[in-house]
Amino acid sequence: MPEQSFHNVDRRKIIFSVILIFFAVSVFQLFKMQILEQVTYVEKSSENSVRKITLKPPRGIFFDRNFQILVSNKPSYSLQIIPANYNYSITPMLEKVLGVEPGFIEKELKKRAGYSRYLPRRIKRGIDFNIVAWIEENKSFLPGVEYVVEMQRDYSFGVNGAHIFGYTREINREQLKKYKGIYSLGDYIGIKGIEKTYEDYLRGEKGYRLVIVNSQQKIIGSFENGRKDKLPRKGYDLVLSIDWQTQRKAEQLFKNKTGSLVALNPKNGEILAFISAPQYSLSKFSSVTSKKFVKSLINDPSKPLFNRATSAIYPPGSTIKMLVGLIGLESGVINRYSTVNCKGGYQYGNRFFKCHGVHGVTNIEKAIEQSCNTFFYKLILDIGLDRYANVFKQFGFGEKTGVDLSEESRGIVPDSKYYNKIYGEHKWSRGNLLSLGIGQGELSVTTLQLAQYIALIANNGKTVQPHVVRGYLTPDTQELIPFEFKDVSVNIKQENLNIIKRGMYKVVNGNGTATNIKLPDIKIAGKTGTSQNPHGKDHALFVAFAPYENPQIVVAVMVENVGFGSSHAAPIAQKIIQTYLKSQKENLINESLTLR
Amino acid sequence: MFQKLQDRFDFSIFIAVMLLIGIGLIAIYSSTYNHPTAKGNFDKQVYWALFSMISFFFFYFLPHKSFRYLSVYFYAFSLLLLVSVILFGKVVSGSKSWVSLGPVGFQPSEFAKIGLIFFLAYWLSYKRRNINNLKDVGVALLIGLVPVALILMQPDLGTAIVFALITFVMIFWAGLNLFAFFVVVSPAVVVFVSLFGVSALIITLILIILALFFFKRDLFTSITIFVINLASALVFNYLVKYLKPHQQKRIETFVNPSADPLGAGYNALQAKVAIGSGGLFGKGFMQGSQTQLRFIPEQWTDFIFCVIGEEFGFWGSIVTLSLFFIIFLRIINILPSVKDEYSRLVLVGILTLLFVHFGINIGMNLGITPVIGLPLPFISYGGSSLIVNMSLMGVLMNIYKNRRLYT
Repeated sequence: MPEQSFHNVDRRKIIFSVILIFFAVSVFQLFKMQILEQVTYVEKSSENSVRKITLKPPRGIFFDRNFQILVSNKPSYSLQIIPANYNYSITPMLEKVLGVEPGFIEKELKKRAGYSRYLPRRIKRGIDFNIVAWIEENKSFLPGVEYVVEMQRDYSFGVNGAHIFGYTREINREQLKKYKGIYSLGDYIGIKGIEKTYEDYLRGEKGYRLVIVNSQQKIIGSFENGRKDKLPRKGYDLVLSIDWQTQRKAEQLFKNKTGSLVALNPKNGEILAFISAPQYSLSKFSSVTSKKFVKSLINDPSKPLFNRATSAIYPPGSTIKMLVGLIGLESGVINRYSTVNCKGGYQYGNRFFKCHGVHGVTNIEKAIEQSCNTFFYKLILDIGLDRYANVFKQFGFGEKTGVDLSEESRGIVPDSKYYNKIYGEHKWSRGNLLSLGIGQGELSVTTLQLAQYIALIANNGKTVQPHVVRGYLTPDTQELIPFEFKDVSVNIKQENLNIIKRGMYKVVNGNGTATNIKLPDIKIAGKTGTSQNPHGKDHALFVAFAPYENPQIVVAVMVENVGFGSSHAAPIAQKIIQTYLKSQKENLINESLTLR
Repeated sequence: MFQKLQDRFDFSIFIAVMLLIGIGLIAIYSSTYNHPTAKGNFDKQVYWALFSMISFFFFYFLPHKSFRYLSVYFYAFSLLLLVSVILFGKVVSGSKSWVSLGPVGFQPSEFAKIGLIFFLAYWLSYKRRNINNLKDVGVALLIGLVPVALILMQPDLGTAIVFALITFVMIFWAGLNLFAFFVVVSPAVVVFVSLFGVSALIITLILIILALFFFKRDLFTSITIFVINLASALVFNYLVKYLKPHQQKRIETFVNPSADPLGAGYNALQAKVAIGSGGLFGKGFMQGSQTQLRFIPEQWTDFIFCVIGEEFGFWGSIVTLSLFFIIFLRIINILPSVKDEYSRLVLVGILTLLFVHFGINIGMNLGITPVIGLPLPFISYGGSSLIVNMSLMGVLMNIYKNRRLYT
């Protein structure tokens, strides 16, 4: 009996120890989980049950200068898949319903592999309402499949403006990394045009809604009654300087043509119409941007994606004769009475540089009116290369204008440094200058630069950096907050400007090269040009401003491969001027009516 | 007056049990109130609780000697039930463990617990057996392992483990010397450890070799025991392949719960999230997101502790654990004062039964033991288990009342 009880006491202790040890372990584990690691588990439990639904703001829309809509938004449905919840066995059925080729879904999912499996992937934009209804009905068989309403661009307002507006594209991996926190997978970001330049204004600010879901991912209700939700802020609407009527007219005029046009207000640099032809259709970009479509644009020999108005550079031809003349007058090399006797050309050394006519005794005004080459051959030799280059640069050639569109070329203004580089030192002579005097040779400009230069002349040496956006609207009061743009000015004597302008007036209204576009009611001043093209027919150029006494509009037109400026480019400029001045008058009347 | 009553009725155990049933009802209410199909479980459990009180007092007032006399019949009836459940039982979640008695279904394996404890106590205390005699140990093991085998045929791994452990601990208590106990238990430990892979198995085998040196038996015996250990591990791992897929998966999940977070390991993971996110004071009654949004299926049964952990936090969990601790401690304290060997063995059996349920259930909720479906005594939803547990508490209280008597 004593041995027995000894045994029992001993074993009691063993049983007690086992219980005590288990207790200690459990309490420790509880302490570790509930006190030390609580934060981690709370996070996991809210990940489980609280879902953040991102509310994407609509992008800001575009108005023209008279608050007419140019580009707006329209709702569309997108199909999304959350890989974490997705059941891959339904893929064939889903592909059939979507009407896409087999393997499409897998390909789309693969594109975004490496992101969190809980992030939704957009599989297809712009799906039919029938498909939406089908998803809604069969929700329980489609785990991880959902549809969302997204805004997409609506381009149905009568103008295309591809090279003004540009387009957006789903953000790529590098951009996502660069703009961490602002964008997330599947967001769209401006790639070209003002969609790119004004991305920060247009995209708005995302909001979110917190909802509680159960273990089946079904939404049970809002989290904390929506107190922690954040509403999205719509992107700012932009007011463009584009005039809807003028832009529309310009697009019609450039149908089946290749070339570019810039019309702007010389007083403030506001671009009224802007064309790079041929264009591409923006509406095709908005819903399903298929790779094939983009590739076809890239491979198109007429290069529709290329912005000819800001990026194509070409010799400006006779359109720059006014500037050569101005340099002569300003530097005192000539005055308004200085003459040259044109006998059909200019002999320089053993080479004869031809004029396109015999103009006889010609002063500067007549030289512009009739585009006499002989006058400018002689003048440029007297001016000299570096003085020429200096003033051309002051007028914005050889530099980017800084227009608020995403791409632009500088162009080329040759100076002695440039010639030394391409020909070698002392391997070029003053003879090279002769073609510069008539806007040929190495001088290369963009249509936009031409427009800015004419604006400086028309507005007496002062203008503003060209731009297509005037400002943005405040969301609440719809007040227009203008953007600031740089002033551009040159120091030229008014009397010299007047001589040049007089010459331009006579081009249309005297015995000039563009009398074909003379109008009874509007006094247009202009200048024709022909840009020599070694690869085919010459490009036709025309620059103009109107009305002559109080210029409201400057137009620079370039039509590729058609020949002379007066017959092809000038009528376009004429119609643009007519349309704009008429539209402006109508809008003034409308405005005064609404004011009353 | 109270002193006198306390002498016949242990209030600390009774109050602890009542509090645990109360906590259980609160947790069942919270986890089923918003549930579409389990909404009526709270009401049912209230009825079961009341009914179990009757069975508690029934066993409390039963004549003390009757347990001993009834032991054989209880055990025989238990075996009969276990055989019939295999033949006629209905299948609930993959195993046959229920029989229906008219409108109510109940689990014979729950009742068999009483039979096993009574009969094993009866046999082990019968005329001072020499438990260290090989034949006596063999019969004692047989008494335990027959129901274990029948339960494994259902199959119900959790309950089989409970039966096996009750058998081991009661034999241990009966005075089996430590070497013999080692011989009996070590194969079971080796089998368990072998689930965790080869390296764990090798470490355990090394420990067994060290233990064999400690016991200083002759070389032949030592080698034989070692070989038996090794063989049981190998045979077990071979037999695992014949287990039902859901059981294999459970074993796999225990070994590596995060391997399949949305599959079999899901419950274990969600349970940990529920408890961990409760923090110090919990999310509040009916406020636990894991519980209310039903992230843990059938939470009112085996994972009821998560409800307490999530909604009442560390504080509530500790209170619950402490109540169990009080019960276990009291039973251990009562043991030496019980004069009768049979009654002591019954108490050890009851203690083992409660502790194994408690340990495995809390362990799986906290992620420290495998997910083996065992209810938490007094707290989990379920009539059979509550009635059997309360009956055993009645037996316990009866033994306490008569602790000074020999039978």
